[in-house]
Amino acid sequence: MHRKKARIAFIAAATAAVAALAACSSGGNGGGGTTSSSKVLKVWWYEGPGSAYQIAWDQAISDFKKTHPGVTVQFSLKTFNQMQQSASLILNSSNVPDVMEYNKGDATTGLLSKQGLLTDLTPEVAKYGWDKLLSPSLQVTAKYDSRGVMGSGNWYGVSDYAEYLTVYYNKAMFAKYNIPVPTTFAQFTAAMDKFVKAGITPLANAGNDYAAQQYLYELELSKATPTDISNYERYTGPVDFHNAAWTYATSTFQSWIQKGYIAKNSVGLTATQMGNDFETQKNPMMVSGSWWFGTFESEIKNFQWGTFLWPGNALNAGSGGNLFVVPKNAANKALAYDFINDTLRPDVESALANHGAVPVSTSTSGVTGAQNIQLIQNFQTLASSNGLAYYPDWPTPSFYNTLLAQTQDLMNGASAGSVLGTLQTTYDQYTSSLRS
Amino acid sequence: MTGSVAAERVAAARRVASPARRRRRGGAPYLVYLVPSIALFAAVIALPFGMNTYTSFTSWTGTGPMRWAGLANYRQLVHDSEFWASIWHSVLLVAAMAIVPAILGLLVAAALFDVIAKRFGQRIASVLRACIYLPQVLPIIVAAIVWGWILDAQNGALNGLLRDAGLGFLAHDLLGDPKTALLTVMAVLVWFQLGYPVVIFMAALQRADPQLAEAAEIDGASWWQRLWRITVPQIRPEIYVVLLTCTVASLRVFGWIFALTNGGPGTATQVPSYYSFQSFFTNLEVGYGSAIATVMTVIIICVSAVFLWAQRRNEAS
Repeated sequence: MHRKKARIAFIAAATAAVAALAACSSGGNGGGGTTSSSKVLKVWWYEGPGSAYQIAWDQAISDFKKTHPGVTVQFSLKTFNQMQQSASLILNSSNVPDVMEYNKGDATTGLLSKQGLLTDLTPEVAKYGWDKLLSPSLQVTAKYDSRGVMGSGNWYGVSDYAEYLTVYYNKAMFAKYNIPVPTTFAQFTAAMDKFVKAGITPLANAGNDYAAQQYLYELELSKATPTDISNYERYTGPVDFHNAAWTYATSTFQSWIQKGYIAKNSVGLTATQMGNDFETQKNPMMVSGSWWFGTFESEIKNFQWGTFLWPGNALNAGSGGNLFVVPKNAANKALAYDFINDTLRPDVESALANHGAVPVSTSTSGVTGAQNIQLIQNFQTLASSNGLAYYPDWPTPSFYNTLLAQTQDLMNGASAGSVLGTLQTTYDQYTSSLRS
Repeated sequence: MTGSVAAERVAAARRVASPARRRRRGGAPYLVYLVPSIALFAAVIALPFGMNTYTSFTSWTGTGPMRWAGLANYRQLVHDSEFWASIWHSVLLVAAMAIVPAILGLLVAAALFDVIAKRFGQRIASVLRACIYLPQVLPIIVAAIVWGWILDAQNGALNGLLRDAGLGFLAHDLLGDPKTALLTVMAVLVWFQLGYPVVIFMAALQRADPQLAEAAEIDGASWWQRLWRITVPQIRPEIYVVLLTCTVASLRVFGWIFALTNGGPGTATQVPSYYSFQSFFTNLEVGYGSAIATVMTVIIICVSAVFLWAQRRNEAS
């Protein structure tokens, strides 16, 4: 009796094990066969709920479901830190998404493409015609060469939105002090002088975040050439941080602190605190990314505000947005390509535009709101004149931290020479490691 | 004859061996209970530490193949001024998280035990002890963010209070000025850490022999003399424990720096654990980040060993 029970238990366990193994083998089937997994599209992104991107990509999922009846879309909200810190573990496993958002740039998508963890999308680009939808300047962050350097080589991702730095300004405060919207650099500084005379710090800033380094970069771009930017961002030539552009940027940035254009006591502030300062009318201007637009649109109710491009610059920080990439081990690549194509549909692009993001589409038909149209038109002005100069922290993975520390030192009175020397050393160390 | 002698020897050997064997058999079962601990130690501490140590000898971005780098990361550490600055900051944080809280904690615990409890009752002393301990219960990130708001140079409560009180000249960008940033972090850490020694020392004071203190009081010893000469020697084991655990905590401090300053301004508040994190995750210098972590682990082990050795020597004497 006892032995019989044991035998039954053994048979049951063996059956369960076989069933489990069978389940595992069908679930882990890579390559997009005709098993049940081919009816599931796994999508990951890390844009927060309520953002323009989440609203637009939900629309893309909805469109996808309509054209793919019977396919289940499994969406997971991740965080960028989560993805960055475990990308290799995730992408080397068989439990990968079919399509996921990932940061553009050499240190992120470039690195993954170099390690062979992403699918080369070049054939799909031709098939779906994505290269016709993305202007050449937006294609830069989608293509990576064999070293993982952006701007040439194969397509490893596709973005359906763009972003750039813009000047947010408080219309009420400009009107109160009878200051016109500046269109030249001289008018810009004259406007800031007027605010300073009125006891107001004109520019919101965050020394403990990306803001200060973006001010520095915009100043550098005012004197830089497209070749300088290509050398800096894509290692196409030597970079001298002691040249006229960087020297001008550091000395001007420091003089702006001294003149009171930027508060000296903003060294320890974060981007969130900077945004609050603009929203609470402490500062009439804030120079930051178009990613703030949707936030201001929903949170600022008590005054009118608008945007204008940094006056006088032919080059301006900006690029294509984050990319949708397809992991090498994705199970259903064909569905992933269809989903990416859906993110570029006019209704998704309109959703992006109407919620404060910048779509890659050049058309503004269907876009409501003068501010939204202004945001898009300003971007198109830059994109059509090859004016996108990417971001200052892209050249090396450690440059964000280096720039953050160095701009803080600059604000606290460190010499421009020592700051530029540190930038040069860090930059050269990384570029020499690329060559070795 | 030969056979019987041999048999006798075997029997004798069995007789001799059997008690030892019985001891071994008797001792074996408790070893089984160590297996879960050993397995956990291996999985959670030994294996990750081994992997981290191996990674510290490589050049790796976190994806793709690792490249053996030998001692290159350690050589870089020796010449890295930011690393040495972070070590120096850690030494200062030992003062903020171990030495100052231990001294203040002893005084506060003695005051609560000797004065507050006797004059106002045990309940009041317990409530005050709980209030002092409260920061220890708060999640570090939450507490750090709130302190960040309080210390915000432009809109923070501290500078606002100073301005409202007519002391605007004292308002300062405490976290943004490299001269004051680390001192400010240290002050916050004293606030955070104080409750821990207070609770430990109050428990220790409960077990201290009151007759000794009473005898000393009759002999005319002051409160300070009784504390220093009678009480402190009795609670020395607890003082060692507090100093050891707080020192180790100060060498590992991360969350406060992460949420309050990001190691800045510049590198004014950089600490090894945050520097390791930055190198590992944001700078993608995984080998270098691992080398920093390995060096810190070795330092923490050495510090712990010194404390334990000192404690044992003290107990033996």
